[in-house]
Amino acid sequence: MLEIQNLTKRYGKFLALNDLNLHIDKGEIFGFVGPNGAGKTTTMRIVCGLLKASSGTVLIDGVNALLRPDDIKRKVGYVPDFFGVYDNLKVMEYMEFYGSMYGMEREEVCEISEGLLELVNLSDKREAFVDTLSRGMKQRLCVARALIHNPDLLVLDEPNSGLDPRARFEMKEVLKNLGTMGKTIIISSHILPELSEMCTSIGIMEHGQLIISGKVEEIMQKSAGTQPIRIKATVSGQGEEDGREYIATVLKEQPSVSKVSYTEDEILVSFTGSEQEAAKLLKTLVERDIAVSNFYREKEDLESLFLEITGGNQE
Amino acid sequence: MKKKLRINPILKKELMVGSRSMKMSFAILGIDAFLTLIVILVMASANMMTGFSGYDYSSLVWLFPILGCTECGLLSLIVPIITSGSISGERERQTLDIMLTTPVSPFSIALGKLGSAMVVVMMYMISSIPILAIAFVLGGLNWGALLGLIGILLYLGIYVGSVGVFCSSFVKKSIVATILTIAIGVGILVITGVVFYAWIGISNYYSMKNGGSFSPGAAPLVMMFNPYSPLFDFILRTMSGTSLYEIIETAGNQSVVLGWIYKGWIPISVVLNLLIALGFLNLAARNICVTRNRKK
Ligand SMILES: Nc1ncnc2c1ncn2[C@@H]1O[C@H](COP(=O)(O)OP(=O)(O)O)[C@@H](O)[C@H]1O
Ligand SMILES: [Mg+2]
Repeated sequence: MLEIQNLTKRYGKFLALNDLNLHIDKGEIFGFVGPNGAGKTTTMRIVCGLLKASSGTVLIDGVNALLRPDDIKRKVGYVPDFFGVYDNLKVMEYMEFYGSMYGMEREEVCEISEGLLELVNLSDKREAFVDTLSRGMKQRLCVARALIHNPDLLVLDEPNSGLDPRARFEMKEVLKNLGTMGKTIIISSHILPELSEMCTSIGIMEHGQLIISGKVEEIMQKSAGTQPIRIKATVSGQGEEDGREYIATVLKEQPSVSKVSYTEDEILVSFTGSEQEAAKLLKTLVERDIAVSNFYREKEDLESLFLEITGGNQE
Repeated sequence: MKKKLRINPILKKELMVGSRSMKMSFAILGIDAFLTLIVILVMASANMMTGFSGYDYSSLVWLFPILGCTECGLLSLIVPIITSGSISGERERQTLDIMLTTPVSPFSIALGKLGSAMVVVMMYMISSIPILAIAFVLGGLNWGALLGLIGILLYLGIYVGSVGVFCSSFVKKSIVATILTIAIGVGILVITGVVFYAWIGISNYYSMKNGGSFSPGAAPLVMMFNPYSPLFDFILRTMSGTSLYEIIETAGNQSVVLGWIYKGWIPISVVLNLLIALGFLNLAARNICVTRNRKK
């Protein structure tokens, strides 16, 4: 469905996208994660034909989006990361306006809009003025608007940013429904947990490069066994500093321990061993006179993987 | 095959939004009040000249040209104001981005914005007709002149509106775009004037030195680029019955080609300026495509 090859984008000297490669299959809900400034918006705007790439190719359904931007306009629906709405325009008129931009007849737009407004849970607002809607509603309306021409690919740039938890939940329900409709969807976010539930595949981006991407399960498997161990421990008869040092020395002697770091009151051990090896590690610590009050291995979820990859766990 | 004539979607939306806003009504009210004030002033002065014992009808003849010029002047201020935010406003809301992801071309967007400004111009024009009708009764106006004025207002609206949409396509702040649009208009006015007089002055200096007679030569062609020339010619003709062409003709003998051009002076000038307006719209369309740097 979407194939990005060696995509590079420079803003002047600044390299915003560095040789990006990405493949998304039809029907996939792709979570596009990365910290602010990673280049998510840049990528999405290039895919939608709003921004020229410095080099590289973008293929949508086999059509080169960079060479034939007009041909992909009917295939792509775009929800920007920030958008305003018009004063003095009603919800249904808003839909009609965008429908008419695709050359659709009024009756056709009305019929489709009814369904879309139901999908985004705004049916009772069809006669309301757009600027009176809450932020979450506007966001959902914008999703409905992006679907007016029945695109195959839906590009959503941070659809959850600035929404309260309730509105986030509602948005999530809408997006889940879209997934069942068989649309290919790209959703970006700088927070991973809100994506990991509803996405079928995921790509993590940093500094204009895709660090990892693939099906959610595959990535989980790849990362299996790399979860860090969190330890709270003291050594009797020693001060905090000396105690920590002693524990660190002991830890580093053990197999499968690659790195020891500290959070406020915990010791964070990068550990690649299995469950049994983790148990052995605990046994060793106790045998070496270390009083362990807390010892747990982080659950295998995408968030810790994300934090690990983007360096959030290191001191 | 049935192909429906489609209204530009942007124009349609602008009309819907605009019709719900009271702003336009108030603006037109203010403008009409201003025009009425001028009528009253002209009539009062005609009254005063006779020592309040009736009207000096000969001075009432000036009512129509004064109203016509005032209308054109006001239009040259209003149109920059209404077009100044047309593109930058959409850009700010990022609705311009959304529009650009649809099959609507940037030129259609610019055209729709110009169209909505023209609708306002027409409303403004129609609302002022009753006031112009006073000039019908009191002097100097016939149907031809009225149609002529309407034509000139539409033409000027297209010209100034295109410049306004163009300015809005690259200037972020509405007020700056308004001023820039007016400045471009005034700038063209001044530049054509200066070039015209300098050209005449220089060519005359040399022809006098060689013992020749006064001839404007090709210098008046410069004034073809002045969007207000048709207005000037129009007022001149309604008032004195002589056209700009006749003045130029009597000023000196022309070559065949120049003579021919001067005869069609005003239509040529109108077409030329409308082409320039089209050029401004095209530039606007180009700017619409360009994604501006966003402030983070
Ligand atoms: N128009 C621009 N001009 C210059 N730099 C830009 C522009 N747009 C984005 N950038 C820079 O490119 C990088 C990527 O931005 P962006 O794609 O918006 O990231 P994200 O959406 O992942 O937060 C950022 O460092 C940003 O400052
Ligand atoms: Mg972004």
